[in-house]
Amino acid sequence: MSSWLDYTINGLIVGNVYALVAVGLALIFGVSRLINFAQGSIYLVGAYIGWVAVVQLHTPLPLTIIVVAVAAALVGLIIERFGLRPLQNSVRIAPLLATIGISFVLDQLVMLTFSPNPRALPSQLPDVRFQVGGGTIGPLDLLIAGVGLTSAILLFVFLRYSKLGWAVRATAQDRDAAMQMGVDVNRVNQAVFGIAAALGGVSGLLVGMYYNQIDTAMSLQATLKGVVAEVAGGAGNVPGAVIGSLLLGLVESYGVAVFGTSYRNLFAFLLLVLVLVLRPNGLFASARQAPPEPLTGTFIAPSRPVRIPRWALLVAAAAFAILPLFPVSFYVLQTLINAWLLGMLALSLTLVAGTIGQVSLGHAALLAIGAYTSALLSLTFAVPVGLAVIGGGLMSAALGTALISPSFRLRGHYVSIATLAIGEIVSLVILNWESVTRGPIGISGIPPLSLFGHELVSPTSIYWFSFVVMVVLALLQGRLLGSHLGRSFRAIRDDDIAARAYGLSLNRYKSLAFIFGGFAAGVSGGVAAHLYSYINHETFNTQQSILALTVVILGGLGNVVGAIVGSVALVGLPEVFRIAAEYRILIYGIVLLLLVRFRPQGLLGTM
Amino acid sequence: MSNIDRRTLVKGSLAVMMAGAAFSRGAFADTSEPILLGVSGPLTGPNAQYGTQWKQGFDLALDEILAAGGINGRKLAYNFEDSQSDPRQSVAIAQKFVSDPRIVMELGDFSSPASMAASPIYQRAGLVQFGFTNSHPDFTKGGDFMWSTSVSQADEQPLLAAYAVKRLGLKKLAVLHLNTDWGRTSRDYFVKAAKEYGAEIAVTEGYIAEERDFRSTLVRVRDSSPDGLILISYYSDGALIARQARQVGLKQVICAASSVYSPKFLELGGDAVEDVHVGTRYFPEDPRPEVQKFIAGFKKKYNGIEPDAFNAYAYDAMNMAAAVVKIGGTDRRAIRDAFAKVKDVSSVIFGTATFDVESRRVKGAMNAELVVRKGQFALWDGKPT
Repeated sequence: MSSWLDYTINGLIVGNVYALVAVGLALIFGVSRLINFAQGSIYLVGAYIGWVAVVQLHTPLPLTIIVVAVAAALVGLIIERFGLRPLQNSVRIAPLLATIGISFVLDQLVMLTFSPNPRALPSQLPDVRFQVGGGTIGPLDLLIAGVGLTSAILLFVFLRYSKLGWAVRATAQDRDAAMQMGVDVNRVNQAVFGIAAALGGVSGLLVGMYYNQIDTAMSLQATLKGVVAEVAGGAGNVPGAVIGSLLLGLVESYGVAVFGTSYRNLFAFLLLVLVLVLRPNGLFASARQAPPEPLTGTFIAPSRPVRIPRWALLVAAAAFAILPLFPVSFYVLQTLINAWLLGMLALSLTLVAGTIGQVSLGHAALLAIGAYTSALLSLTFAVPVGLAVIGGGLMSAALGTALISPSFRLRGHYVSIATLAIGEIVSLVILNWESVTRGPIGISGIPPLSLFGHELVSPTSIYWFSFVVMVVLALLQGRLLGSHLGRSFRAIRDDDIAARAYGLSLNRYKSLAFIFGGFAAGVSGGVAAHLYSYINHETFNTQQSILALTVVILGGLGNVVGAIVGSVALVGLPEVFRIAAEYRILIYGIVLLLLVRFRPQGLLGTM
Repeated sequence: MSNIDRRTLVKGSLAVMMAGAAFSRGAFADTSEPILLGVSGPLTGPNAQYGTQWKQGFDLALDEILAAGGINGRKLAYNFEDSQSDPRQSVAIAQKFVSDPRIVMELGDFSSPASMAASPIYQRAGLVQFGFTNSHPDFTKGGDFMWSTSVSQADEQPLLAAYAVKRLGLKKLAVLHLNTDWGRTSRDYFVKAAKEYGAEIAVTEGYIAEERDFRSTLVRVRDSSPDGLILISYYSDGALIARQARQVGLKQVICAASSVYSPKFLELGGDAVEDVHVGTRYFPEDPRPEVQKFIAGFKKKYNGIEPDAFNAYAYDAMNMAAAVVKIGGTDRRAIRDAFAKVKDVSSVIFGTATFDVESRRVKGAMNAELVVRKGQFALWDGKPT
């Protein structure tokens, strides 16, 4: 069929577009072992600088590209110098989180400057089309391909044959050794960030011209696709990133061809999971490549946890328990209900990410599974709400663990990327599995929470209900951590090879952690479903997962009390800043950055 | 949990419920203070542009209401809380509004999940939730405090189908729709009506909101060889699809739902949206005085910027709110009842708007049949493209 040629060409064209972002990500990962979640925001900044150049200053194309590259490189240098360099000696997760904070700040600054309305970014190339197969390609397609390929080749040559390139590779391999050999590691990092940011900015410009459209919400999608492409190709491998991007484009295009448009991203993320499971270092990693992460305590800060005395905890719990007896507004109670729900999710994540070391970026999927199960049980099968919520917890525990189990053999960042993909897959399955989930229409009319036949509809009763559920889960988890099982979990986190040598079955213990964590998250999702009465596939999204991770790190990885303190803080902060309206996410991002900078081990430290 | 605990829990919650109810009833009747409406909507996050557009529409309406003497001599004002259109935040905002005795009515939220998650709270507290962009068929089923001026897709889509099938004579259609509750509901109503008018549906393709690349989708469309493309899209994705359709060489007639109607559609689509047909409820060259007054006022207030449909929805919603408050006063329950009493409120979208008490929506959406000619929306002159 002639259409297959068209699908192939289309896949390669869009793959080109992804390659522009993926190459920058690969370069940074190669040197800093850091997935730079701010790369999408630099891409956004580049697009808007390009808009100013093209529409306001009427610069010719070559000048536009230079202006954007230089300005974006400057942004990259600033990020490196002030955002990331101070975090050099802190835990691995700190710079990752910092890049998320930086992306909030950049996105919001662009939005405040340019307003959130989408803008047209006209292409500065002539609008001629060449017939290829049943479709056409234009000069901009060729330019994008040219920029992607040329930059990949130039980077490859730079890394392999130039002195600074050697320094970059030496730093990537062993930072301390490189430093001892006289490599100026900071200069290397700076060069890499500058180059990657320039590339990111130019890609934003070109992609904006390609679609004749830029808007302030485009950075997260760009990051997601870039990360998928980069990891599929082999993280840190620049030519691999290009090939991974083209592959991603092709898989998406063929996926649309065979199954239709609504399945598009499903296949992209399935590809990622498949690659990670079959070749954990990516398709183009060399067999002799060193393990991607140091094996010991990858993400865990060496810190002394803050021990909160038992009486203080009791006093705090009692204070929260009797709070509704005082004339506090329902708004405060509702905000705290949100905090308790997030607290359950954070308990779940702090167990799997903190205690056993599997950093999950797709944890919202567990919420969604719990919410849908509970909603459908109570609606379709008339199961009492209390039991339905427990059913949601059990389903999350079972299904969540089964879904995540392929990632058990992965390490470090690859775990987070795999879980990110699984989170997206769950959301897309919910969107497409209409006979069960009602697809995009969502589920409405979910009955309210009830206990022994009494409906809990007032904020006070919901407050107490969710508070008690969270406290029970927290007590159980505290008990778990103090037990032999909890020590085994931490042993696996701290050194999985040593743990295995002592005869611990890694997969079995990781499964246990996810079963317990899945239950807590599923219950949280179930309660939320009955609280909202309407859910759809967007209710529990990636931003929820990122929020949960932020909470857990803020509180201190593996720290039960920390998870709850973090939840109250992160649900509360945006509410406190509510008065600042458009500025509040900006403030939130800055607060996040400051926390990461000055207390990377979390408020209460790692258990 | 022991029995004692449970009993105190239930008792305590009852006591506080009553205390809370008593607290929220205590309305302040200070006539020098403005009458306050609560708005729950996105000012940050991926839907931020719509919140910004709401504000413009609200502010214009409020200026005019104040110039006309306010609500029985009192000023009308709103308190805009940023929900990011996220259900977690919209429920917290809902609690904030229902327990703030100054708030007499709520407007928003933008998306269905955010709005409908908050509905039970508004319903139980007896505060009107006036969702003016909520076309989800179940929104007004949340209770008798849920009202909407958002045109039900059951009303609008048959009008678009009639334009495409009866007027433009398209017989075999490819439908591309946003795969959200709105896009999906619209698609179903459209397909049903189009079939009734005798058209064949060659293919339907749903895409997610973040999608930017439609080339492969368009190959599927091409292979189904339709004679017309129907876009159930917002203006930004609609413009993208039109551009890419022309780039991959599709020359079929394109017909789009009213939601693409925006000056931005022309800006983003460029040459590619030339000859695109749009059925719309809002058209600035409509000679009706309501429309002309709105446009003149908008351009004057915002340095010559052309308003678009979302500005108009917000403007209409604020005017409707004012009309309702004028009848209902500041009592929340009386305001709910006033929705059934308002008659023929001047409206950009409806001409005059009156609620259907059964559906709690406004009936009788009108459609202007437009086409893009020389980079401008123009009334369709009946000539085929």
